[in-house]
Amino acid sequence: MQPFFKNRTNSLILFLVIFFLFLNIYNIIYNTPMVPDQHWAQKIFYVHVPSAWVGFLSYFIVMIAGIMFFIKNNNFWDNVGLAAAEIGTIFISLVLITGPIWATPIWGKPWIWEPRLTTTLILFLIYIGYFMMRSFGGHAERVKRYAASLGIIAFLDVPIIFVSVQFWAPEIQSHPQVEMANQPPGILGAFLISLSIFTLLYILMLKYRIYVIQLKNKVIHHV
Amino acid sequence: MFFTLFKKELFIEFRTKEVVLSMLIFGLSIILAFAFSSNVSKVIVANYAPGMFWVMILFVTTLGVHRSFSYEKEFDAFSLLVGSPIDRGMIYLAKWLSGSIFLTIMEAIIVIPFFKFLLIELPSNFLLFSMTSILINLAIMSVAILVAGIAMRASLSEVLVPILFFPLVSPVIIAATKITSGILSNDPYQLWQIWLLIVVSVIVIFVLAGYTLFDFITEE
Repeated sequence: MQPFFKNRTNSLILFLVIFFLFLNIYNIIYNTPMVPDQHWAQKIFYVHVPSAWVGFLSYFIVMIAGIMFFIKNNNFWDNVGLAAAEIGTIFISLVLITGPIWATPIWGKPWIWEPRLTTTLILFLIYIGYFMMRSFGGHAERVKRYAASLGIIAFLDVPIIFVSVQFWAPEIQSHPQVEMANQPPGILGAFLISLSIFTLLYILMLKYRIYVIQLKNKVIHHV
Repeated sequence: MFFTLFKKELFIEFRTKEVVLSMLIFGLSIILAFAFSSNVSKVIVANYAPGMFWVMILFVTTLGVHRSFSYEKEFDAFSLLVGSPIDRGMIYLAKWLSGSIFLTIMEAIIVIPFFKFLLIELPSNFLLFSMTSILINLAIMSVAILVAGIAMRASLSEVLVPILFFPLVSPVIIAATKITSGILSNDPYQLWQIWLLIVVSVIVIFVLAGYTLFDFITEE
């Protein structure tokens, strides 16, 4: 296999991602307007929301990879599922770290059972189980099928978890919140740029991780 | 075919008295733990009784599901079962239905000690409480059987089953607690109907997913 970054397209994407990530940080710090009542704390949303988007997109890809694995019975889809699950969990962890960082100065508490964060936490716990299953599942071929099934049911459970958490404790979740789509243009533009860069970073990470997993499987089969 | 499998599952559940006994004793131990940890305070128990009840059922379910699948691991009986020319989705349906019946019977036995030991009044509308509990049991089992089917043949199954089961079943636990507390405090149906819808959605989604996925999960 040719080294991943020897490929021109991959090295170009890597260069673009690094360049745009620095540009994004500069843009967030110097060009985005300050929200009066949130001050610097609001800036974390340019990282928090894109991380959540990428995390959930990744878990959606785990589900699609699971379905494709059952249809095609091809190891490639198992690799995609594993890579997407790992990267998704990294971004979901970022969401669970940045959420309380923002909430501490704004709501006075790091955790108030906000429905989206709670759903994210539940999904994170399911995926910890997913990785334990991958590690201790036993027979390698069976583990692939178990992991694909778990990826499918985990994502199917998301809307139910979200709805139930939303209705669960409305009295402790009553906090004013403006959706990203209703933000002023200065904030929305920077947010969309950040979202695109995170998505590009995700695509690169996913491609690279799939490559590494395939390489690892090759080495194992060779030995 | 379904009824043969269903009968087999039920017979296994009831013939193996150690599952029934261990689930009951475990349930009673949890009631004792709740009683001691709450000082049987009327305020605490009245507020938390629905949650305590469903947490107890969740623990008992984990124990029961794990034990009932373990029997099939012995002599590799499960491999023989999935090797037979039957629709594997039916195995899931049979296990789900028999497990729900089994759980309902367990609940019927344990509900009286729960309310009496914790000094709580039995629900005034006991029929409604029973009907909703049956529906909740169906939802709990739809998730439990699917998770057990995935995790049971893993090397660390006794750890994996609860780790996967508890987060996946969280919407059912929220809904079950809300429904039961609504019934215990005689709230009108409109106040907790949304939770019934959530329970029904879990049943529909997980039974369909279980029926479809069991074919792949149990593949040798």
